[in-house]
Amino acid sequence: MDRLLARFAQEVDTAVEIVTIYEKAGIQKELVDEEYFLSLQSTHPSSAWFERKIHDDFGLKIAKGYDNRPFWQHETMPSITAMKKSFQATSQIERSTTPQPYRYKTIKGEGVFQVSVGPIHAGIIEPGHFHFSQAGEQILHLDIRHGYKYRGIEKMCEGKSLDALFPLLSRVSGNESIAYQIALYQLKEQALKKEITPNLTHAILLELERLVHHCTDIGFIPNDAGFGAALSMASLLAEESKRILFTLTQSRFGFESIGKDIALQHKKNELQTYIDKMNSEIQWFENWIMDIPSLWDRLDTTGILTAKQALLYDTVGVVARASGLKLDRRDSSFYRHYGYALQREKKGDVAARFILRIKEIKNSLKIIENMLNDVTEYQIIEEKTYHDGEYLSYVESSIGELMMYLKLKEGVVERLFIRDPSFINWQVLHLMMPRDIIADFPLINKSCDLSYAGADL
Amino acid sequence: MIKFWKKRIQNKLLTEHLTHDKTLSTLQKELKSSIAKQFASSLNIRMVDSGSCNACESECNALSNPYYNLERLGIQFVASPRHADVLLVSGVNTFNMHPHLLDAYAQMPSPKYVITIGDCPLTETSVYEDSFAIVGDVAKHLPVAHHISGCPPSPDEIIVGLLEFLKGLDKS
Ligand code: SF4
Repeated sequence: MDRLLARFAQEVDTAVEIVTIYEKAGIQKELVDEEYFLSLQSTHPSSAWFERKIHDDFGLKIAKGYDNRPFWQHETMPSITAMKKSFQATSQIERSTTPQPYRYKTIKGEGVFQVSVGPIHAGIIEPGHFHFSQAGEQILHLDIRHGYKYRGIEKMCEGKSLDALFPLLSRVSGNESIAYQIALYQLKEQALKKEITPNLTHAILLELERLVHHCTDIGFIPNDAGFGAALSMASLLAEESKRILFTLTQSRFGFESIGKDIALQHKKNELQTYIDKMNSEIQWFENWIMDIPSLWDRLDTTGILTAKQALLYDTVGVVARASGLKLDRRDSSFYRHYGYALQREKKGDVAARFILRIKEIKNSLKIIENMLNDVTEYQIIEEKTYHDGEYLSYVESSIGELMMYLKLKEGVVERLFIRDPSFINWQVLHLMMPRDIIADFPLINKSCDLSYAGADL
Repeated sequence: MIKFWKKRIQNKLLTEHLTHDKTLSTLQKELKSSIAKQFASSLNIRMVDSGSCNACESECNALSNPYYNLERLGIQFVASPRHADVLLVSGVNTFNMHPHLLDAYAQMPSPKYVITIGDCPLTETSVYEDSFAIVGDVAKHLPVAHHISGCPPSPDEIIVGLLEFLKGLDKS
């Protein structure tokens, strides 16, 4: 089956066009001349959220879909069909006085009860809603709801030049800032009719961002199983990684660092010291944590996603690779030349996602070290003559494949669609639940570590 | 676990910025109002993300790593607004989060304070446009007692900001 990458709509003159992007078949378009469009949900379950978003963006109805609930249009949000050109980004909207209740998908039956969690959670985390149908401790079904952080980013980008977008796109999802900037940079290269050339500075920064994220996760996953010592140890590694990012880019998250000369060639020593330290620390961490049976009792066989399910739901990134799929945008001759090797696990459980992250940390350190030798002066693009057209870019962020679609018209953004890896992966999370108890939910959720901000543009 | 304890002994004390301890203990002596005195030895914070990019949250999480070790100062993040003295608000205050943000504040017992964190909660410093989906300026909707600026503020800047808030309490 051809992998579905994205599905969204855009206005062409006065009509609305549905754009569907597949891995092999590429961009497919169809004009909608009715009030509705035909759903793909029966063949690609992951098209559900895309289609629900199209409904909110343009007011089109979903025909023959099993899920046609609103997405970012919450109870008191009026129907504003925000992505139509007639709607202004800076409009003031009034809260609707007749709220439309949201219909959670639940399982009903004798003794079955519902547990509602969120949007505000107990930890320091982003807002989202989780609705569980429970039989005692056993999870029967989980319905996930997002849209709380909806900021209208796609709309905000319209009418702007590409260069003006860097500050904003740096801050869509803090964990993936560098990936977002590189994706935007690649769109820029294409619009300037340049080839996308692999850039060592960018690649190193991207791996550092992955290190921050993965190191944070290998602490928080055991922590959610009640093993706090791992968090203390791993958070040191995450902190070191943020600090080296700061040394290089003056921002602990690398905000607004792509497209600028950060003179990496003069900071090789600092990076090398960091890598040496990290190599020995991660090795210590692995030896230590592999040897704690009570922890593995919780991680093993918890939150299983089979390869078949991962494929059916078009999943990407860590989640897909931990279930055995060979899917990584870095899988190219450029990266392999610098020691990249695709890391995979088979079991698809929390343990697999945890181990995969440790393996990827080691591989990222190796890639950076090898790339470091070849780093030379950074070439800044000075040209400003952008060519109108449609462009696509892909970057493997720390979560998974990030995709951007750009339509440039008269030198400014006509439509920018961003498909965060989380947007796809959130939709498969519920399949990891039915064999587990509700107390395992935080653990499973953390093992996937998806972005809420990335799903809620 | 023997591996762990060996490592612990080898690592020694990693906490940096130890001067904060001194600042806090002097502060505790200097504070006059009883509320401020009480808070200075135990400040419970409930963080609410009203539409952030998650970097501000990431830095608040970093506060508990051994380098910053915030809890040693008696300041801790709690799981419910009902346990909290301070509502720490990050993010742009989106249309969809706004009612929940107000709800969380309403759930807190008095005396209660609001601190905003990051450039997002102030429309003029935020990189986000004042769009249809954003209600914006948290201070227009909640009584903000203190603001910690930065995008994101570093963990140390957050600690300094919290201590400043405590100092300011005496004046109010
Ligand atoms: S202030 Fe900056 S770092 Fe904090 S949430 Fe906003 S954009 Fe992110």
